[in-house]
Parts: sequence; structure tokens; C-alpha cells
Amino acid sequence: MSHAVADPAHGHSHAPVLKMGVPIPNGKLGMWLFLGTEIMFFTAFIGTYIVLRLGSRGWPSDPEVTHIRIWAGGLNTFVLITSSVFVVLAHEAVHNGKFKLATNWMIATTVLAFVFLGIKSYEYYGKFEHDILPGHVAESPRQALDKLARELDAASGLPPLQEKETHINNLIAANQGKDSKSLEAQRDAVQADIKKLDGVVAAYRPLKDKAKYGATTAVEAATLVHDIVPELTSLKKEFPQFEAVHDPHPIKWGNTFASIYFLMTGFHALHVIIGVIMFAIVIILGVGNKLGAQHSVMVENFGLYWHFVDLVWIFLFPLIYIV
Amino acid sequence: MSDQHSFAVAAPEVWDDKHHPHVNYWYVFYALCVFTGLSVIADLVRGNSLLASVVGPHNVKLVVAFVVLSIACCKALFVMLYFMHLKFEGKWKFVLLAPTIVLAMAIPAALMPDIGSHYYDYQVPQLEEDASAGHGDAPAGEHGAAPKHD
Repeated sequence: MSHAVADPAHGHSHAPVLKMGVPIPNGKLGMWLFLGTEIMFFTAFIGTYIVLRLGSRGWPSDPEVTHIRIWAGGLNTFVLITSSVFVVLAHEAVHNGKFKLATNWMIATTVLAFVFLGIKSYEYYGKFEHDILPGHVAESPRQALDKLARELDAASGLPPLQEKETHINNLIAANQGKDSKSLEAQRDAVQADIKKLDGVVAAYRPLKDKAKYGATTAVEAATLVHDIVPELTSLKKEFPQFEAVHDPHPIKWGNTFASIYFLMTGFHALHVIIGVIMFAIVIILGVGNKLGAQHSVMVENFGLYWHFVDLVWIFLFPLIYIV
Repeated sequence: MSDQHSFAVAAPEVWDDKHHPHVNYWYVFYALCVFTGLSVIADLVRGNSLLASVVGPHNVKLVVAFVVLSIACCKALFVMLYFMHLKFEGKWKFVLLAPTIVLAMAIPAALMPDIGSHYYDYQVPQLEEDASAGHGDAPAGEHGAAPKHD
């Protein structure tokens, strides 16, 4: 077997000069490979969101309907951009041997990560408060009225008592004439509890029946969904236990919207939490005076990860909050 | 002759931390803030009648989407080039990132024909009911289907 022998020093070789590996530390290469998988992970979500939006005419975009607040998204964008500067300054400080300064930048970055999560939690609270959750959203007036009827029932406290009564009656029937005094006493107690709800039932039942049977056509349902709100409001005023009942607001494609919204922002928030754990490692090292030049690559890798988290948000902000 | 001498082998390009890029990160930060502000302004002018008269009322949404996504691409470029130092890295960045970006398009591309650009109407109850109620394909909230609330 004959091959040209390489001799780069004398420059006589005609064979290609091979380089052994990528000229970056192994840890950094590993982080970039990981970020490559992360690009595919988030592009799948973001791309699916775009495709779903394009294919769903009437996608909810009114902020009053979706409870998307542009000020919250804009503020969070600013927070993440600022934190990205801080983390890159932390790496710069480690590179320059200023480990105390690096620790301080890391602490500032972590504080901003918590600010981001706080604003995100506020936004999530709005979604939970208005029940804009996957599988919970009524997408048509008929569905909204059915949901209202279900929520009125649940808030009244009547269904569990009725179920209990039925269960005890079944047990008494199964006893077939044997001594059932204890069961009967329990049934009497449950019936007394049901009796106590007579006032509540008399107040909410007509509203529930109206929601359930008051509209027979789609046109009637579309009208009733608005007309029923004042009655619901006065019921809530009279009986506070109905406070949790949501006003009937149909949102077309609302469940798909909620699913993809929570999927994208939820996984992004999870990445923020993982970033906080990374920063905590650096802060612990810094506070214990153990942060040194040997940690430069680690800090750079954590920074790369954080910049990627920032990158994802840079695309989520216009797509979710503006477009 | 052994195979170990078959190829010319150069010493690896040693990663030298001393060749650290010097960037004024604050300038990048200011640029990113300006871009974010422009995105918010794009959202604010969406309802402006002047914009509607210039680009046409039906194109406002499309134009705003194009503008804010272009701004997002610029911001992403700034972050990647300067914060992630890709401007100063070797050509390995293309080898590593190009395939992932191509593969990342697989799911959107697979979904697009059936979900994103279908020529047929979905047979889903909420749309049928909405159509029979006279709302057609109007987005919820824009035609009063969902009243505004706090």
C-alpha cells in the first residue's frame, strides 16, 4: 500500500491536511450540539403554531379575548435582553479574572430571570382566571351556554349531595329489608343539607334552564350568550358561591390557541428555570471564592444556553403578542 | 508503511482563550432595545387609518407581521453574532447549524399541506354553528362573538 507521506513541516505533501476535531473546547462543542437539538425542538412548536394559525380562519387575535398583554410581552423582552447582556458581561469578567464581578453579574442575571418568571406567572394567572385553558374553552355560543349550565351546577354544591343521596339509597335497596337505620340517618342528614340549598337552587335553576334550553337554534344561542350575562351578574351578587362561574364567552379555535400557547411559553419558562439552576451553580462557586479561570468555558456555555433562551423569546414575542 | 501515515495530520488548531473577541455589548443591547421598541410601534400603528390607506385595509395584518418578524430576525442575528460570538467562530458553525435548521423545517413542512393550506373547509361543530348564526369566518371578538371584558 502506497500513500504520500504527510509532512506539513516541509510542505511536500499533496494529501489534504486534516485537522483533528473542531477548534473549540469539547464542552463548548457539546453545548452547541445540544443547542442544535434545541433549535429543532422549538422550531417544531413555533412552526406548528404558524401552520395552525394559517390554517384556522378566525384565529383569536383580539387581546381582549385572548388576554395577551403586549406590555407584558414587551417588558419580558426587555428583561431577557438585559439579562443576556449581564450574562455575557459575567463571562467577560471571568475571562479577565474578575471573579467577584462575574458573580455579581450572575446574581443580576438570576434576578432578571425571576422577574421574567414573575411577569409570565401574572400572564398565566389571567389565563387561568378566565379559563383559557386547553380543553376548557367554549368555541361556539351553544358550547358556551352548556358550559355555563355545568358551572352553575358545580358552583351550587347540589350535584355531590344528590350523588351521595343516590348512593345511600342504592345501599339501602341492596340491604333488602335488613336493618338500615344507620344508612337512613345518613340519608336524612344529606337530605337536610339539600334542603338548606333550596334558596340557592330556586335562584340559579331558572338561569341554568335558560342556558340549557333557552336557545334551540344557533342564531338564538348567539343572542342568548350576551343576554344572559346581566342575570348571571346579579346571581353572583346575591350568592357569592357563583363568583367562580365564568361569563359565557365563546372563542373560536380557543382550545387550539390555549394548547399551543401553553406549549410554547411553558417549555420556554422551563428553560428559564433550568437557566436559573445553571446560574446558581456559578453564584455558589463565586460566593465560596471557588470561581476561577478554569470555569471560563462553563460560564461561556451557560451564557450560550441563556442567549438561546433569549433567541426563542425574540421570536415568541412578535408571534404571540403582535401578529 | 502503516496506515497511520496515510494522511497528512495537522496539529489541532488550539483554542486560545486569549483570542477573546472584544465587543461593546452595550451597543448591541441598545440596538436590541431599539428593535423591540420598533416592534411595539408596529403594533401601535396597526389601527392607524393612514397605514390602512397606504397598504390597503386587507394587507395591514400581513404588513405588520412581515415587519415585526423581520425585526425579530434582525434581533436574533445580533444576539447570535455578538452575544453568542458566532461572528468570531470558525466555519464549523455552518457545518453544525445548517443541518439542524434544515431538519427543523421538517414538521412545519409536513403539516403545511393539510393543516396550513387546505383547500377544503373543516367539518367542526363550532364553525358550522358559527356559520349558521351568521358570523361566517369572522374572528371571535371582532364581530361581537365574544364581548370584551377585563
